[in-house]
Amino acid sequence: MAQGSSTSRFASIASVLLLAAVAVAQDSTYSQSGDSEGGLWWAFRPVREVAVPKTRTTGWTRGPVDRFLLAAMEEVGLQPVQASDPRSLIRRLHYDLTGLPPTPEVVERFASDPSDAAYENLVDSLIASRQFGERWGRHWLDVARFAESSGGGRSLMFKNAWRFRDYVIDSYNADRPFAQFLREQLAGDLLQFESDDQHNRQVIATGFLELGPTNYEQQDKQLLRMDVIDEQIDTVGRVFMGMTLGCARCHDHKFDPVPIEDYYALAGIFGSTELLTRGNVSGYVERELRGPGLRAYHVHQKRQKSVQQQLKLLRKAKAPSKRAFQQDALRGIVLDDVDAKRVGKWVSSTHVAGYLGRGYIHDDNKSKGKKSVRFVPDIPNDGEYEIRLIFTSGPSRATNVPVEVTHAGGNQQVSVSQRSVGSAGGEIAPVGQFHFEKGRLGAVTVKTSSTNGHVIVDGLQLIPIGEAKEKALRAPADKRAALAAQRRDRQTALEAELARLKKAAPPAPPVAMAVRDVAKPKDGHVHSRGLPRTLGAVVPRGFLTVCGDARPSIPPTESGRRELAEWLADPKHPLVARVYVNRVWHHLFGTGLVRTTDNFGKMGERPSHPELLDWLAANFVRRGWSSKKLIRELVVSAAYRLRTAANHAPDPDNRLLSHANRRRLDAESLRDTILVVSGQLDPKMGGSTIRKFSTYDYGYAFESNRRSVYVPRFRGTRLEMFNVFDAADPNLVTGRRINSHVSTQALYLMNSPWVMRHADFAARQLLVEADQDVNQLLDRAYLRTIGRLPDVEERRLAREFLARFSSDNQTKAWGQLFHTLFACLDFRYLG
Amino acid sequence: MDESLTRRQLIEQLACGMGALSIPGSGVLGADGNPLAAKVPMFPARIKRMIFLFMQGGPSHVDTFDYKPELAKSDGKNIDFTGVRFGTFGKKSQRRLMGPLWKFRQYGECGQYVSELFPYQARIVDKLCFIHSMHTNGVAHGPTTLFMHTGATNLVRPSLGSWLGYGLGALNPDLPVFVSLSPSTANGGPRNYGSAFLPAAFQGTAIGRAGLPVARAGIKNITNSRIRGATQLRQFELLQALNREQRRRAGRDDRLDADIGALDLAFRMQTAAPTVMDTAGETAATLKLYGIGEQPTDDFGRQCLLARRLCESGVRVVQVNYSDQTPNPMWDQHANMPKHADHALATDKPVAGLLVDLAARGLLDDTLVWWGGEFGRTPFAQAKDGRDHNPRGFTIWLAGGGLKQGYAHGQTDEIGHYAADDPVHMHDLHATILHMFGLDHEKLTYRHAGRDFRLTDVHGKVVTQLFA
Repeated sequence: MAQGSSTSRFASIASVLLLAAVAVAQDSTYSQSGDSEGGLWWAFRPVREVAVPKTRTTGWTRGPVDRFLLAAMEEVGLQPVQASDPRSLIRRLHYDLTGLPPTPEVVERFASDPSDAAYENLVDSLIASRQFGERWGRHWLDVARFAESSGGGRSLMFKNAWRFRDYVIDSYNADRPFAQFLREQLAGDLLQFESDDQHNRQVIATGFLELGPTNYEQQDKQLLRMDVIDEQIDTVGRVFMGMTLGCARCHDHKFDPVPIEDYYALAGIFGSTELLTRGNVSGYVERELRGPGLRAYHVHQKRQKSVQQQLKLLRKAKAPSKRAFQQDALRGIVLDDVDAKRVGKWVSSTHVAGYLGRGYIHDDNKSKGKKSVRFVPDIPNDGEYEIRLIFTSGPSRATNVPVEVTHAGGNQQVSVSQRSVGSAGGEIAPVGQFHFEKGRLGAVTVKTSSTNGHVIVDGLQLIPIGEAKEKALRAPADKRAALAAQRRDRQTALEAELARLKKAAPPAPPVAMAVRDVAKPKDGHVHSRGLPRTLGAVVPRGFLTVCGDARPSIPPTESGRRELAEWLADPKHPLVARVYVNRVWHHLFGTGLVRTTDNFGKMGERPSHPELLDWLAANFVRRGWSSKKLIRELVVSAAYRLRTAANHAPDPDNRLLSHANRRRLDAESLRDTILVVSGQLDPKMGGSTIRKFSTYDYGYAFESNRRSVYVPRFRGTRLEMFNVFDAADPNLVTGRRINSHVSTQALYLMNSPWVMRHADFAARQLLVEADQDVNQLLDRAYLRTIGRLPDVEERRLAREFLARFSSDNQTKAWGQLFHTLFACLDFRYLG
Repeated sequence: MDESLTRRQLIEQLACGMGALSIPGSGVLGADGNPLAAKVPMFPARIKRMIFLFMQGGPSHVDTFDYKPELAKSDGKNIDFTGVRFGTFGKKSQRRLMGPLWKFRQYGECGQYVSELFPYQARIVDKLCFIHSMHTNGVAHGPTTLFMHTGATNLVRPSLGSWLGYGLGALNPDLPVFVSLSPSTANGGPRNYGSAFLPAAFQGTAIGRAGLPVARAGIKNITNSRIRGATQLRQFELLQALNREQRRRAGRDDRLDADIGALDLAFRMQTAAPTVMDTAGETAATLKLYGIGEQPTDDFGRQCLLARRLCESGVRVVQVNYSDQTPNPMWDQHANMPKHADHALATDKPVAGLLVDLAARGLLDDTLVWWGGEFGRTPFAQAKDGRDHNPRGFTIWLAGGGLKQGYAHGQTDEIGHYAADDPVHMHDLHATILHMFGLDHEKLTYRHAGRDFRLTDVHGKVVTQLFA
């Protein structure tokens, strides 16, 4: 199809002129009312009901899709090329609907009967096959930036993300209406349900919001939260609307009509949605799935927790930590802070070492005068006692802590400094000597009124003086022993109970990565320049003001995700159906009607066939948002069945689709096909496939013969083949994959031990099951890999190569031949 | 088709006045359709290549290059510090100052202070250009390491090496443009040399990984484990003959040509790359200079030597990683600062050896060497004798490529906590490095998701004071 060189100059001028004509023709419907000044950008205008155009010729068209395409071709004087040969067509169809190659038998059967009926039967059976969901589910997982680990600093495993993957595959196989699919992913947890299964499915679907690349290690947790919200807004915007909303985090969108307030209206919705758990390295929320044993499990858990809590308290009272100084080393009566009665909120701490018992408490330097701690010692004998306050000193402490002593003679207040080490040695400050009487109320109260720093309470010491001393040292010892024995008995009983409970524990219910609404949903602030601490005005939660009614009424207990989902799933939403049908078109024709599948804004491209896009979108909604019906409509069109050809003027990018685009097998199909040809594919569906769980995904060793959609997807460590052959980067919404042609791919195909091993498997299988005629073997090898027979030249080259091997070296010979076929162009492309 | 700009895109992008094409006269693709073809810088470049010696984990500046007599004097004193970590964010708390654990002395004509941790680097201070006033974003290793490599703590962005590959292309078409030697898979892992939304061709090539001896590392799939020489050539000839036949049947399609070209290149790389990786031809004196053949310098010495060989052969960016596979890498001494001495012993001689070798071969004139960690360490103690991360102030050094020599830029405060005078943010360092390569950090952009992205986002200024 090369252009004659003598006419190339003319041809290029003509092609520029015609290109301009094509552009005008394509844009006329929108450009008349102006799409930049005053008028609304095409994508924000309502989807129109469009009449299917009349075409000059009619023989070729099979339906409305073809008539739209042909009409545009006729305007510039183009004709569609011939239909594809049956073998190429069936290979294309198989990959497009299932991601797998057709068997040689299917190819040959269709080659002998390439009738419309045979074709459509095949289409129907492929759409009904379970591999359909595996193929189209994978496309959705690309845009959902699905991964099974977080990436970022520490790449945390998402152990239950596979449930979302299976949910997506199942949704395609069940042909779940896209509007429902959308609702479930954004707000499944808030939707009604009639069964446990439905509840679980809907909760699992919300994993969509949580699966993003989050750096849980980020220390500024306010910033982390905003980054997560930003990722959700950007993802929802790009996935469902083809809008890049991230720009509006810091300022009004420069190109699209999205003011900063719209962004923060959405941020309020996601801000009212919970998916992070607290910690130095944060975690993600998981939710329990319902099932028969769930209630029993919870009753059991509650009982076990209660026993554990009681045991904890017992042990805490008994065993001081190693860091703390030993209670027994202190003389007299010693009370720990846990023995005192607190008023107001006191904070427990172990920050400064050298405390009594398990820690100390402080007033957080807040609400002065409203907090106090009261010790009521059990006075064993009448007499004089020296009262000492135990604390941990430091420069942030108060120098004027009021300590009120209620003794036999009345009340007295003493001021104590906690800023430096107490004069009694250690961090113990003498309060004074007082007379106490057995049986009469004696108390020591630490107050916080007018204090000039943190007030610390670690404990209280009473040292008997004079005659009280000797008795004190005897009597309490007996009491302590009795108490200790009592505690020991109780502890033994509780430990036995705990062991019994643990043994009888019902299995933990399955959990899913899923979000939930926060306890108190609320509107958010505008953050000036996107910074988490520069707050502007409060914005009521809502949607994009450019499309439809953007200010919903949200129940006070909900985030607004349900309303957001309904706003998107509204048949009148101008973007959602258009963006989705365009994604499907892209996968079947190699390029979208809007080529920038994830950007329908002004920085994206305009549609090549705006009316066809609207017709498809309207029809899609009318037919119940059915992906299967849409896909069927497209693959039975005449346009889909055209042969490939070289691009040429006047349509050098083949925007008018007068021929099929040659498409490269994606990484998954390439791998799956090699596994099919080698006979090693494990066709099992679904389930968790991560072999062993560790906290992070570093250095994960992939060993699996499952279909590629089931190979674990991590953000840290990735399967080499996915990396090399441009599988979607799970950090980004990917409606359109990059297609690179780099030497790492060539090196992989030439030298990867994996490829060579599978080439050997393929050779052994071929030699065992087929008869030994070299031509027949070659036919079979070609049909299996490329889905066609070798041409004369290919047969000559292959036979020449094989002839160099001796007859006892046939496995080696055919291994090398399969290896070569795995690397050749026609294996890697759909012609 | 997918990766080239169509006329229509071109018209739209120019019409919007943003200058979507970042490189004058070329798009993503170089002149011959190869994304890695060499491109002309925006203005005359000072350097052609860079070696980054990444000291992962955060070496302590106050124990190595940043001499703080006041800190030594205040050893043991308690001072309030504002917390930067989870749970202490923005809150003040008391911390005990800890003086440097090693003695400092002045070296060279420039009189730069170096602690006794680095006796070899001390001898070459007159070649170095110190920045004592570095500061950066993030606190934990992951976010800060990503920030150093990509200019973002959390969002997914291309790495510095990928930006350089995108802006300048390769010096040698038979070798990768950007190599990371023995990188860690932790703390951001591959994202630290990833291309994010830039075309995959600009992704860094990892050779080996942290924890494995580099002597046994190589480019993935660079050799065939079964067939070599004439046998492999015969198979390769069959492959390309089949491809030419299939290409003939298909009609014109640039992508098919690109794939055939990639196979040819890969076949040539099989010969070229192992030659570069093979250090057998190096003299005993050179090996000794890098500390190869002795412990504990052998492995890091080999990495440094490989860096020189890769640079010599035309790899534009080489990152040498002193790292491991843990979330708390190498120099991360939260407790037990004396362990710094082990890391100093393993790296000091090879680092100095590399500098001396590059200078002797005349490579230092157009090669930038960058030594540093993702952050420094706090002047206050953690536990008994550890130090915490300090992103607020730390030291790196640069060398080569027309930089001032024996020069020290900026200062931290008296105790080495905050960058005080002439602070240089990591964004500024990125801007400066791009500038040295002849690229304007504000103009080196890539359009993704509807807007133009830069390595430095909306920040960064070139630190011209560093230039001689």
